[in-house]
Amino acid sequence: MSDLLIELVHRFSPSRQEGPAVEYLVDWMESRGFSSHVDQAGNAVGMRGPADASYTLMMLGHIDTVPGELPVHVDQGWLYGRGSVDAKGSLCAFAEAAAAVDIPPDWRVVVAGAVEEEAPTSKGAHHIREQFSPDLCIIGEPSGADRVTLGYKGHLLLDYTLSRPITHTSAPDPSVGARGAAFWQTVLAWADEQNRGSTRQFDHVSPQLRAINTSSDGLSDTVHLVIGFRLPPHLAPDDITAAVAGLAEPDAELHAYSKTNAYLGDKNNTLVRGMLTAIRSTGTRPGFVLKGGTSDMNVVGARWPCPIVAYGPGDSHLDHTPNERLNLDEYDRAKTVLQHVIEHLPPASAI
Amino acid sequence: MQTECVECGAVITVSEDVMQGEILACSDCGAELEVIELEPLTLDLAPMEMEDWGE
Repeated sequence: MSDLLIELVHRFSPSRQEGPAVEYLVDWMESRGFSSHVDQAGNAVGMRGPADASYTLMMLGHIDTVPGELPVHVDQGWLYGRGSVDAKGSLCAFAEAAAAVDIPPDWRVVVAGAVEEEAPTSKGAHHIREQFSPDLCIIGEPSGADRVTLGYKGHLLLDYTLSRPITHTSAPDPSVGARGAAFWQTVLAWADEQNRGSTRQFDHVSPQLRAINTSSDGLSDTVHLVIGFRLPPHLAPDDITAAVAGLAEPDAELHAYSKTNAYLGDKNNTLVRGMLTAIRSTGTRPGFVLKGGTSDMNVVGARWPCPIVAYGPGDSHLDHTPNERLNLDEYDRAKTVLQHVIEHLPPASAI
Repeated sequence: MQTECVECGAVITVSEDVMQGEILACSDCGAELEVIELEPLTLDLAPMEMEDWGE
């Protein structure tokens, strides 16, 4: 059983309260031969291999969790607790795998536990992406020990605000609430049109009505909608914003924020080949997965041209739920896979 | 080097510098195939691509 994993899950660390967990991980890595420190963003960073190595494998996990502390306990081979799946299991598997093997010549391995992945800021990953330019990168998120995540959808939030002078409720004009509802239906119809002919959900633009409210100040009525979009790789947040603006009433106000491009990696590169071979070495058949959410892969993928995948033990359906738990056998299997990947990092001639 | 598609049996010609884990496409049936062994050259169906929600 992994002491590191259990100790780290015990250190409840919602976004912006990661300090004790970061200190613990840095101390753990230092005691296992890493050169480790807390960086300027508050991330836990540890390196094995020479600092001036020609090539860098970045293993970027996140150490923060969503709010909602859960009792930490082990029962029948499962670790229960907030962050066990999302994503301390992945981060600890990274650290334990990197600690357990000899780092191949020409390589260094960096294990980073980023802060604020669960916050809109993604502060930790933004800092890391400016500090490093790796040759290969594994993001720590729960793909399941037998699967490799190749991509995450993008994201956008849009606020829509429309006001109209108050009229008597018996007047024939539609209320602002009805106008807001009609706008939402227009957005849905537009999305359906965009998605026509495409069977893969990853290629769909997926709008979600997060909120719709009306208010009145005695002179005018106002409707306010918050619409979230999950974006395919071929549509950027600004593309969506421009299209939706064309659907809105001319005097409506639109505010776009939380803009994140989708990321989809190649399935035939050095890193993917290494992952597939490592998973098969455990006696199982690997799978690929495309995720509907976002992760730090979106943040660093916008800057780093290197091969990037996401990998880690656990069932992402348990992310953010009160039933969050991680199977410890699967955790051990993921460590074995990651050790294989590190031990078989390609020689310089194959990069 | 030559081998057979595990899906349709068509002959597949593979370059000498093929790598373990590499994904090839069968030109006859379009199946994606993964090189799982180099000696002897062995192919299997490439990983299925699944979709999932969450992080």
